[in-house]
Amino acid sequence: MTGPINVRELAPGTSIVLVDGSRAEIVDNPGDGVWLFARYLSSPRDPTLIGQEGMIFAQDVAALGEPTTT
Amino acid sequence: MAMKGSRGYRSGLVDLQAGEISREIFVNEDIYAEEQERIFARAWLHVGHESQIPKPGDYFVSSMGEESVILCRDRASRIHVFLNSCRHRGMKVCRYDEGTAAVFTCPYHGWSFGTDGRLVGVPYFREAYHSRLDKEKWGLIEVAQLANYKGSIWATWDPAAPSFTEYLGGFTRYLDLQLDGWDGREAQAEVLCGVQKWLVPCNWKFPAENFSGDTYHNISHRSVDLAGIGPSGAGRRDMGERDVSRKLHVCIPDRGHQTILYVLPAERLPPPAYMNAPIVAEYFRHCEEEKRRRRGEEARLVGAPGEIFPNTALLSRQPRTMAGWHPRGPHQTECWRWYFVDRDAPGEVKQFLRDYYIRYSGPAGMTEQDDMENWNYAHAASRGTIARRHPYNYDQGSGTAVTDYEYQGLSVPGEVIDLTEVQSSEQPMRNFYRRWAEFMEAGDWSQLATWRGSERKAAE
Amino acid sequence: MSERDARIERLLLGQEIADFLYHEAELLDQRRYRDWLDLLAEDVRYWMPMRRNVKIGEDEREFTSAGTDINWFDEGKETLARRVKQIETGIHWAEEPRSRLSHLITNVQVRAAEPSVAAPQDVSVTCRFLIYRNRVETETDILVGKREDLLRRNGAGWLLARRKIILDQNVLLTKNLTFFI
Repeated sequence: MTGPINVRELAPGTSIVLVDGSRAEIVDNPGDGVWLFARYLSSPRDPTLIGQEGMIFAQDVAALGEPTTT
Repeated sequence: MAMKGSRGYRSGLVDLQAGEISREIFVNEDIYAEEQERIFARAWLHVGHESQIPKPGDYFVSSMGEESVILCRDRASRIHVFLNSCRHRGMKVCRYDEGTAAVFTCPYHGWSFGTDGRLVGVPYFREAYHSRLDKEKWGLIEVAQLANYKGSIWATWDPAAPSFTEYLGGFTRYLDLQLDGWDGREAQAEVLCGVQKWLVPCNWKFPAENFSGDTYHNISHRSVDLAGIGPSGAGRRDMGERDVSRKLHVCIPDRGHQTILYVLPAERLPPPAYMNAPIVAEYFRHCEEEKRRRRGEEARLVGAPGEIFPNTALLSRQPRTMAGWHPRGPHQTECWRWYFVDRDAPGEVKQFLRDYYIRYSGPAGMTEQDDMENWNYAHAASRGTIARRHPYNYDQGSGTAVTDYEYQGLSVPGEVIDLTEVQSSEQPMRNFYRRWAEFMEAGDWSQLATWRGSERKAAE
Repeated sequence: MSERDARIERLLLGQEIADFLYHEAELLDQRRYRDWLDLLAEDVRYWMPMRRNVKIGEDEREFTSAGTDINWFDEGKETLARRVKQIETGIHWAEEPRSRLSHLITNVQVRAAEPSVAAPQDVSVTCRFLIYRNRVETETDILVGKREDLLRRNGAGWLLARRKIILDQNVLLTKNLTFFI
C-alpha cells in the first residue's frame, strides 16, 4: 500500500491503477488536483469501459501502474 | 423602514422637483439590501473585455454587484459569465484572478465544471448518487443574457431585460468613443494587463454620481493642477481641444446614462497635444486626421467622464479607463479600474499613456486620491441621526436642459445642458437618481422599459 | 584579506546599508520629503506591482510587469517630485490634514555588492516594511510587505537607484496610496 498520490503532478501517458482494479492511462491533466482525464485499459467491473475516456476522481487512484509504451 | 412612506422613492427620498435627495439612500442598510435585488439583479453590468480572455479556456474572475463571477471563453471559443459558486455547497470554484483552465473544480467536495459551465465531474457519481443525478440541471449558474459590445462584455441576471443596445439607448455613441480606435476604426481597444482593485469606505453611489459628470468638483483637484502631471508636463491634462470646444452635459432620459462631452467646432482639428513626446504627438495628430476622414462630423465628439447605469464609469479620453463600483455593503465600495489603449498603437505610445494613466488614476493616482477622500468623509458624515434628516442639494441647473441641442450642424440628442458659459450643472446626477428611483420602484422590466411606448410612437 | 576581515567588511557594509534605510524611513516619517528626494538617484525607478492570485507553478504571472503593465506605482524621480509638490500645496485633501506615518524597516539583508564588499559601488538589499498610517481621527491602515532596493554609491553616502515594493495584498485594502513606501 502506497501513500496518497498527488494527481496534480501526473503527466499524460502515465498509467494508473484504480481502487476497483481498473487500469487507465492519463490522456490529459487539468491540474486541479482532483480529476484526471484518462482512457481505460482494463476494468474488472465493466469491460465495456475499455478504450473509453472518462474523468477519474483523485481518491479513486490507488497506485501508479507500469509505464505504457506508445 | 425610512422609504416605506406614502410618497415612495421618486417623490420622497429622491425628490427631483425640489432638487433634493435624502442621505438615507446612501447609508440605510435596508435600502442597500433592496438595491441588490432591484438594481444589481436586473440591470446590465460590465464584466470585462474580450482582450482579457483571448484564447479558449482563458478566464478572468470579475464581479457583478456583490458577487464573484467568472468571465471565460470555452473550448469552442464562446464567451460565458458564470456565478463563481459551486452548485453543490457554494464554495468558489475559482479563487485565482485570471488564467487558463480546462475545468473549474470545487475544492470542497470535488464537483467539476467545464468552461462551458456544464457539470462534468461528480465524485462517486455511480456509487453515492446511483448515477441518477441530472448533471444537465446542475451546471454553473449562468447569466440570463450576455452581450459582447465591441469587445466589452456585459451581462444581466434578468431574462426579461431588454437587449444591451436597447438598454444603452442613445448612449451607444459615447460607449463607442471608449471602445473604437482614436483613428475612427471600430472596436480597437485593448485592456492593458492589470486591473486595479481597491476598497473605499463609501457607498457605491458616490463614485457613480461623481463619474456621471460632476463638473463642480474641479476645486478638489486643484493640488494636482498645481503639481502638474499632464502629458505635456503641466496641469492635469492637455486642455487644447477642450479650450476650443463646447462643453456639454448629455443625459439619456429613461436610461440613466449620462456623460460630459466636448464638441469641437466644425472644420477644425483638435489643437496639438503631447508636445513633450514627438512620437505620441505625431501619432495622435495622424489618428485625428484619420478619424475626421472616416467619421466625418462624428469625429468632433470628444469624450469625458460618464456613467452607464448603474455602476460602470467611462473615460474615453486620457486617461482612457473604465471603472466598476462594486457594492460591498452600504458603507464600502470595491473599485475596479481597467485601462485601455488602441491595440495597434506603437509601443512608445502605449508606454507613454500607461505612465500617465497610473499617475492620474487609481489609488496611487494623484487625481483620484482626492476623490476618494471626499467620498470617504462625505459618506461617514452622512450616517448620523441628525445628518440623515437633511437631504443633499441636487438643484444646480434644474429646468435648463434642452432636447434639441445642435452645435454647428452636429446634433446631440438627449437632455443637454451647454456648460461652456454656465460652467456646471447637476443634470447628470438628477438623471442617474431618476433612473435609480425607477429601478427601486418598478416591479419588473415591463415597467422599467419606460421608453418603449414613446419610441414606438416616434417611429410611426 | 583574512576570513575574519572579510566578515568584518560584510558586517560594516550591512550596518551602513541598514543605517541608510533607517535614515530614509526617518525622513519620510518626519515629512522631510525634499530631503528624501535628495536620496533618490536622478534615474531612480520606483515600482510597486500589483499581485495576482496565480496557480502554483505560475509564479512569473504573480506580479504585474514594470514598463508595460498597470502597476500601483511605476515611475521615476520627476513624478515622485510632483507627488511631494502636491503634498506641499496644502490643498491635497487626501493628505491634508496630513497622515501620521511610521515606517518600520526590518529583516535588512545585503544580497550583493558590486564590484566587491570592500569597495562597493552598487548594493542590492532586501528588507521588510510595516507601515502604520493613521489620519484624521480614527482612520488607520497597516501595510506590510517586502522591498528590493538597489543602492548606488554617492561619495561617502548612497542613493536609491531602484526600488521594487511588494505589498502582501491583492485587493488594496487602503483607499489610496498618498505616501511613499
